[in-house]
Amino acid sequence: MSRALDLAEEALRAAEGDEAEVLVHAERSGVARFAGSVVHQPTLIDNAVIRLRIVRDGRIGWASTNRVDGLADLARRAGEGADQARADPDFPGLAPPAEYPDVAAFDDETASLGPEDQARLAGVAIDAAGDFELYGYFTSGVTEIALASSTGLVADQALTDANALCLAAVDGASGWAEQTHWRLAEVDPAAAAREASAKAARTRGAGKIEPGHYAAVLEPYAVAELLRWFSYDSLGAQGFLEERSYFCGRIGERVFDEKVSIADDALDETNMPKPFDFEGTPKQRVELVEDGVARDVVWDRGMAAKAGNGRVSTGHASPDAWRFYGPLPTAFSMAGGNAGSLDELAELVGDGIYVTRLHYLSVIDPRGGVLTGMTRDGTFRIRDGKVAEPLVNLRFTVPMADVLGEVRGLTSEPLLMNMNELYDDRFPHAARVPALATSRFHITGTGSGPGI
Amino acid sequence: MKALAEAAVDAALGAGASYADARAVTLRRQHVVTKNLQVDDLSDSESEGIGVRVLVDGAWGFAGEGRLDEAAAREAALRATAFAKAAPGRHETSLAPIDPQSGDYRTPLERDPFDVPLSEKVDLCLRAEEGMRLPEVKVTLAMVRAQREHKFLVSSDGAAIEQDLFECGGGIDAYASAGEISQIRSYPSQHAGVSAQGGWEYVEGLNLDTEAPRVGEQAVALLSADECPSGRTTIVLSPEQAIMQVHESVGHPTELDRVYGTEAAYAGTSFLSPDDLGNLRYGSPKMNIVSDATTPLGLGTFAFDDEGVPAQREAIVKEGVLRGFLTSRETAARIGAGAGGSMRADGWSRMPLVRMTNLHLEPGEGSFEELLADVDDGLYLETNKSWSIDDKRLNFQFGTQIAWEIKKGKLGRMLRDATYTGVTPVFWGSLDGVAGADEWQLFGLTNCGKGQPGQEAHVSHGAAPARFRDVQVGVSG
Repeated sequence: MSRALDLAEEALRAAEGDEAEVLVHAERSGVARFAGSVVHQPTLIDNAVIRLRIVRDGRIGWASTNRVDGLADLARRAGEGADQARADPDFPGLAPPAEYPDVAAFDDETASLGPEDQARLAGVAIDAAGDFELYGYFTSGVTEIALASSTGLVADQALTDANALCLAAVDGASGWAEQTHWRLAEVDPAAAAREASAKAARTRGAGKIEPGHYAAVLEPYAVAELLRWFSYDSLGAQGFLEERSYFCGRIGERVFDEKVSIADDALDETNMPKPFDFEGTPKQRVELVEDGVARDVVWDRGMAAKAGNGRVSTGHASPDAWRFYGPLPTAFSMAGGNAGSLDELAELVGDGIYVTRLHYLSVIDPRGGVLTGMTRDGTFRIRDGKVAEPLVNLRFTVPMADVLGEVRGLTSEPLLMNMNELYDDRFPHAARVPALATSRFHITGTGSGPGI
Repeated sequence: MKALAEAAVDAALGAGASYADARAVTLRRQHVVTKNLQVDDLSDSESEGIGVRVLVDGAWGFAGEGRLDEAAAREAALRATAFAKAAPGRHETSLAPIDPQSGDYRTPLERDPFDVPLSEKVDLCLRAEEGMRLPEVKVTLAMVRAQREHKFLVSSDGAAIEQDLFECGGGIDAYASAGEISQIRSYPSQHAGVSAQGGWEYVEGLNLDTEAPRVGEQAVALLSADECPSGRTTIVLSPEQAIMQVHESVGHPTELDRVYGTEAAYAGTSFLSPDDLGNLRYGSPKMNIVSDATTPLGLGTFAFDDEGVPAQREAIVKEGVLRGFLTSRETAARIGAGAGGSMRADGWSRMPLVRMTNLHLEPGEGSFEELLADVDDGLYLETNKSWSIDDKRLNFQFGTQIAWEIKKGKLGRMLRDATYTGVTPVFWGSLDGVAGADEWQLFGLTNCGKGQPGQEAHVSHGAAPARFRDVQVGVSG
C-alpha cells in the first residue's frame, strides 16, 4: 500500500460515523529553473495534502491539511462545514467502488531523480543551447493520488513526469521548444534546447505586418494553448450547463472543419495517463469533436446529476485548486492529418504567417468562443509556400470557429505538450496535438519583437 | 517555529552555505461559495511547512518540506544546499547589504474572520444571491473568503521576524444569457471579488447584499445593449479597471527580475532596461505611481518582506518619468540602487520572487463628473472582463464587463463587449486626467501569477477614475 493510500485510510477512520471521502495528493518534485543559462530559481518540494469531504444529510463540508497529526481536527473542520451547509438536492452521493483500467504512468528512472540529477539535466539543456542563452527549466517529480471513501471506494495511483522547457534567446532573437513525458527516457533536454536555438537563430530582424485576416501555420505549442483556453468555458460541463459554452445548442452540429477531431483521453499511454479522476470515477475517453461535429463536453458526478437525463460522469472531476471551474479536459488528443512536416503545412498556406507559440491568452467572449493573445518566440511570414522573414509578436483576436473552421491540413504525428504550469499541487497533464494550417487567423495588432 | 527556522539556517550554514534564510509558515484559508442559492463550496484548508533558501558559491538552492519539525527543517536545508552545489552556470549572486532586522507585526483588525460563524457567512452569500435573481440571470454566485498566514523568518544576515497576516474578502457575480448572448456583471470586481488585509469588518463594508440588485439588473440590461463600436476615442476607466491597467502595464514591467530576464520563459520580460531608471518617459505628467507596502488594508502590506527588508513607500513613476523598480536584495545589488523590499513567496513551498506589494495610481484632482465633463464623445469602461498583454508588457488588450457612451460630458447608453487596446508608453502618455482623492479606491486581487513553479501573489492597487485620449476601442474577432 502506498504512503498516500495509508494516509487516506487513516483520515477516513478519523471521520468514522460520517459519509466521507478522503483524497490524498502527494508530491516529491524538483524544478531546476534557469535564466541566462544559470539556474536561479530551484524549487524542491516534499508534501502531502489530505482533503476530507464529509456529507451529512446531503450537506457537504470540505477541509484539508498537510498535518498528518491533525486528522481529528480535519474531521472536525469538515464536519462543521457540513453542519452549516444547505442540503444540495442535486448531490449524487459519493462515488461507488469501481474497477480501474490498468494504465502505465510510473517510471522508476524518472522517480529516482534527485536534486543533483535535476540540476545536471538542466545543465545538459544549457550546454546544448549554442550561441544562445537558455531560459526555462528541467523538472521531474512523483505525484501520488489516493482516494478512500465510506462507500468502500479505494483508488491509488503514482505518476511520474519529466519536462524540459527551453527558451533560447538573446536581445532581438528567441525560439521555443519543450519535451514532456511520464518517462525520462522520452525527454531529451539537449534536443529541446537545440530546437529552441535553431528557431531563435531565424528570428533576428523581425518586422511588422498590417492587421488583418491571415492563413497561418500553428505549431503544436500554439494549438495546445488555444484548446486549453477554449476549454475553460466551452469543453467542460459547468460552462455548458451555465450557457457560457460555444457548444451550447450545437451538440450534434458541424462546428469545425471535418478534418478536426478532438478527444480527451487520459487512458492513452502516449499522453499523461491516469486511471481515475479526483472523485475516484474511472477515466473515459470523451469525443469532444468528431470530424468537425460537436459531440460532447466532459463531466463530473455533480454536473452529470444537475444535467439529469441519465447523464453520468466521464471521469473528469478536477483537482481541488480547479474545483471552482468544474470538470475540464486534461488530456487532449487531437487527430493528426496527412501532412508529413511543418514545411508541407506552409505549402498549404502559401501566403500567410507561421506561429510557434502563444502568450497570455484571455477569453473575450466565452459564448462566441473568441480568444485573444500574443504570438512569441518564433513568428514568421509565409511567402510562396515557404517560411520566410521573421515577424514581431502579433496580437490575435480569434473566434475558434474561424481557426478550426477551415483547416487546410494537419501534421500526421501529434506531439505531447506539457499543460502543467506547476501552480498548486503537482498534477501532470498534457495535450497530444498536431500542428495545423488554418485559413483564418485574425491579427489585430503588433507588439514587442522576439528576444529578451 | 522560530527555533525550527534557526535550526534550518544552522544546518544550511553547516553544509556549506554562505547565506541561508528559512521561513516557517502556517497558513489557513476558508472559502464559502454559494451558487444559484445552493452552498457550492464550504471549505477550510490549512498547510504548514518550512522553506529554506541558501546560497552556495553564488548559486541558489531552495527546498520546502511540508512538516514543522526539526528533522524536516534540517532535511530542507540539506536538500537546498545539495541542489545549490550541483547547480550549473556561472553564479555571481550578491545581495544588497541590510542591517539585522527583528520584530513582529500583526494585521490590525476588529473582528477575526475565523471567529465569524460559518452560518453568518453562508447567510450573507445567500442574501446577496437573492438580490441578483431575475429570470434572465442563469447563474448567481456569491463568495467570501478568509486567510491567516503566520510566519517566522530567520536569516543568516540576522533577520528574526514574526508576522501574522489576516485577509478577508468577497464578491458577487450574475451571469445572464439569452439566445447567443451571455453576459456577466460582478461586484466589487471580477476575479473572485476583492480582498483586504483586515478583519471581517471589511467584508461587512462591501455591502454585497445591498449592491446585488444593481448587479443582477445590469447583467440583464447588457443582453439587449448595443455592442461597443470600433474606432479611436477618449476613454475613462473606472477605478477597478484602472488598477488592472496599473497592474499589467506598470507593475509587472517594473519588476526588476523581469527586466533582467529571469521570468523570460514564462511570464515574460519587460520593455524597460536598467538604464531607463530616472530617464524613461513612461507616461504623461499626470501619471504618478507609488509602491507602498504600508497601505492600510493592502494585501501587500507587511512590516518586512520575505527577505527581511523593512516595508517601504517609494515612487515608481513620478510625473510620467520612471523613478523606481520593484526589487529584491539581489536585483538591488545588481542595479546599484535600492535595497529590495518586494520579495514575497506564495506559502512555505515556494522561493520568494520580486512581486508587487501595493501599487497605486496616485489621485489627481476633481470629481468623476468633472472628468467626464471634458469628454465630448467617448466611452466609460467599468469592471475588467478579459486581459492580455505581450511578453514585454507593451501591447495590451483589455475587455470590460460594461461600458457607457459619454456624450457631451454625460453618460449615455449602455454598451456590451467593450474592448480597448494600446501600447504601454503611448497609452500612459495619453493620460490627461485622474480624479481626486475622494474618488480613489483600493482593490485587493488574489490571482497574480508568476514563477515556475507557479506562485499566486495577493496584491492591492488603488486608483481613481482616469481619462485617456485617442485610444483604439472595439476590437473583435
